[in-house]
Amino acid sequence: MPTTQLDRAHPAGPAAEPPRRPSVWRRVRANGWSYAYLLPFAVLTGAFTVYPILASLGYTLYDWDGIGEPTDFVGLANFQEVVADGYFWNSLANAALYTVVLVPVQLVLALAMALVLNNPKLRGSTFYRAIYFLPAVTSIAIVGIVLKLMLANFGDALSAPLAGLGLIDQPLQFLGDPDTVLWTVIAIGIWNTLGYNLIYFLAGLQTIPKDLYEAAQLDGAGRFARFVHVTVPGLRNVGVVIVFLAIIGSLQVFDLVMVLTGGGPFFASDVVNTYVYRQAFGQVGTGVVTEPDIGLASAASFFFGLLLLVLTAGQMLAIKKLRARKERT
Amino acid sequence: MSNNRDFAMSRRSLLAGLAGVGGLAALTACGSPGSGPASPARSGGKQAVITHWDKWASQEPWVKKEIGLFQEANPGVTIQRTMQASGNLENLLDLAARGGDMPDVFMVAQDRLDEHIAQGRVLDLSKYATLEWQKTFPAHSFVEGVNAAGGKIYSAPFEGYATDVQLYLNNQVFKDAGLVEADGTVKIPKNWNDVTLFAEQITKKGNGSVHGLGFGNSAFPIIPWWVNFFVNGSGTPATLPSSTPGGLDPRTGKFTLRTESPYLDFLALFLEWRDKGYIFPQSLSIDDEISRQHFARGKFGMIVGGVWNQPGWTDLGFTDYTTVTMVPQDGRRKSFFYRGAGSVHLAVSATTKHPDEAWEWFKWWYGQQAGTRFVQELKGGVSIHPEANDPSKIDFAPFAQFVAGAELVLPGPQPSLRNPATIHVVPKPVTPSFEDICTGLYTGQIKDMRAALTKLNEDLEKEFVKALDKAVQEGHKVSRDDYVFADWDLGKPYKWDIPEYLGA
Repeated sequence: MPTTQLDRAHPAGPAAEPPRRPSVWRRVRANGWSYAYLLPFAVLTGAFTVYPILASLGYTLYDWDGIGEPTDFVGLANFQEVVADGYFWNSLANAALYTVVLVPVQLVLALAMALVLNNPKLRGSTFYRAIYFLPAVTSIAIVGIVLKLMLANFGDALSAPLAGLGLIDQPLQFLGDPDTVLWTVIAIGIWNTLGYNLIYFLAGLQTIPKDLYEAAQLDGAGRFARFVHVTVPGLRNVGVVIVFLAIIGSLQVFDLVMVLTGGGPFFASDVVNTYVYRQAFGQVGTGVVTEPDIGLASAASFFFGLLLLVLTAGQMLAIKKLRARKERT
Repeated sequence: MSNNRDFAMSRRSLLAGLAGVGGLAALTACGSPGSGPASPARSGGKQAVITHWDKWASQEPWVKKEIGLFQEANPGVTIQRTMQASGNLENLLDLAARGGDMPDVFMVAQDRLDEHIAQGRVLDLSKYATLEWQKTFPAHSFVEGVNAAGGKIYSAPFEGYATDVQLYLNNQVFKDAGLVEADGTVKIPKNWNDVTLFAEQITKKGNGSVHGLGFGNSAFPIIPWWVNFFVNGSGTPATLPSSTPGGLDPRTGKFTLRTESPYLDFLALFLEWRDKGYIFPQSLSIDDEISRQHFARGKFGMIVGGVWNQPGWTDLGFTDYTTVTMVPQDGRRKSFFYRGAGSVHLAVSATTKHPDEAWEWFKWWYGQQAGTRFVQELKGGVSIHPEANDPSKIDFAPFAQFVAGAELVLPGPQPSLRNPATIHVVPKPVTPSFEDICTGLYTGQIKDMRAALTKLNEDLEKEFVKALDKAVQEGHKVSRDDYVFADWDLGKPYKWDIPEYLGA
């Protein structure tokens, strides 16, 4: 048997040369239109993402207010300042809490709603999908302003049932109380971006062949068993992507916090990106003149980027190991 | 293979595609505003187009009117205005300078003019800003180290000097609470105790739906405005000329201002107002814009804000309010608001192709007639031209009250007048700042007020020393002595030792 296999792989005759790998140009030419379609995105990403990242790397080494050319070289002092700044770690802790709470809650809700909306017997499912996706496509600025108005005008009405139950003795200041502000932002964040994950899960659910459910049903599997043994494995690949995107997106939350609280009161809802923004542009609109510190902002941004890179690499490594272990067993 | 053939491209077609994309990008990049509608000057050679950048949103009606009047008077010049309302005008100017596309005329920030001068971005206006023209402004409007450098003039002051924030009273809320004088006008608080009593009465009569005081702190810190308003006049210098580092007491040159008794007393009183429920409970959850609307709707009786509140209230149809410009601690005025000499507003680009036309527009904007329209028609603020600021010619009482408050603003000591090199001393901001601490105290996140403010003084001192050392290392002759004005009498205008006009 081994000989036969060997013979099949290497037929008799002069030793065949290993197949030559086509040159880069040949490969580009062979898939020309694919590259052409990718080009605009690559150019835009290069110009507006990669270049600014590389350019700001240089700024991390300067004490620079953003006007003129940076000349005051300070080495790694900006990084030292960031690492020693308790307010940076406070913002990181807030971003982490935002992520740790938002991601699992939002994913469970999104999956549950996707399962309901994926039911072919549900009437008006397209309407519900549109309704649930609506917050995701609404401008954050509008969401922030409207919710601020609602909480300001109806905050007491929302507090009344809690007061009735004896859970609170004063009306809640949803965005003004350091104990409630981050939770309020998290709740709004869950609602606001739920639609994306809902759509991802719906797309994932629709890739699972119906035959598998029918086969499982014939084998006597109940609803829960079908969910555990068919749906969950079927969503594994898309699920990993969703979790990755949700974690990275949540850690980088900015606009929602900026519009709702600006990171306040007294840094209680400050996240890393609002910290970076404040260093880079000062407290916009206060009339208080604060010197922008582009160098420090760039250093904070880079340091945070590194932390995210380590986190992402760790996640990928862990998933790879889990898969390898599963395949071995 | 067949698939590959279907999708394969020839080298020529790929390069042609790339050239197309590149060409499109180049066309897009070349499509600057200057090559669009602004072209008549270049093509016709007669019509000069002056690009103008500012960030005035609420003053827009005045700006548009002035552009119209100017163009009528100068048919050969077109003003192409861009309102950069993002709050980042300085960053946009920096980007424009890097791209070689600076606007001809632009609004410039007080603390950035020196850097624009150093970068060679702004035009020396000395040729145009003759002594005769300078004398259309009050004395000490053109000052070395403020809007001039090396004897060259680069900008000029536009707005006059007025109290930066005021206390506004909702007349209807006051009347509903019975806070009315015998003649039917509302009672005006004369001291801090009056404010407390009025707030108490309004809150009691309001039965939980109307409060005595209110503000909106969520977008940016507003509580410091309250501190500033109430401390001014109470025996400590709170509003100081621009080159004085925040928290520094010019009488000693030390960072002790924020722990002086008027500050501590007012913050303690403010927390007492909070604890007694006189302050609108959602004040930390709402922003300033929303709080102004709540005030107009009578949800609370008193709010601190700037004159910029007034046009918004007029738009809402709310005009029944009173402006109060000073409320000293015990009713006796022991200090004032203090201002510096000169200021900056517009500058002209050094690279403008139409310097004469840009100057004409600059001169129009700064003219006394434009200033009069700014005060009396727009009610946008106080003009640098005293003739434009006659309260008797203003047809709206709350705005006239604000303009009349200009008498409470006195010349104060200004380090950059004594030594222009002090503009190179730029202390970095500290965290938490005074603004942050005010919020932290209100929320209860900071318990020990004195300790927090003492630490703030120490942090400010540390950053000041660092900035001073850095400026010295860069070769600037500066010292702490430049910041000490031991002979300053808070009750009198400070006499500046500078020429009244440049080149006189």
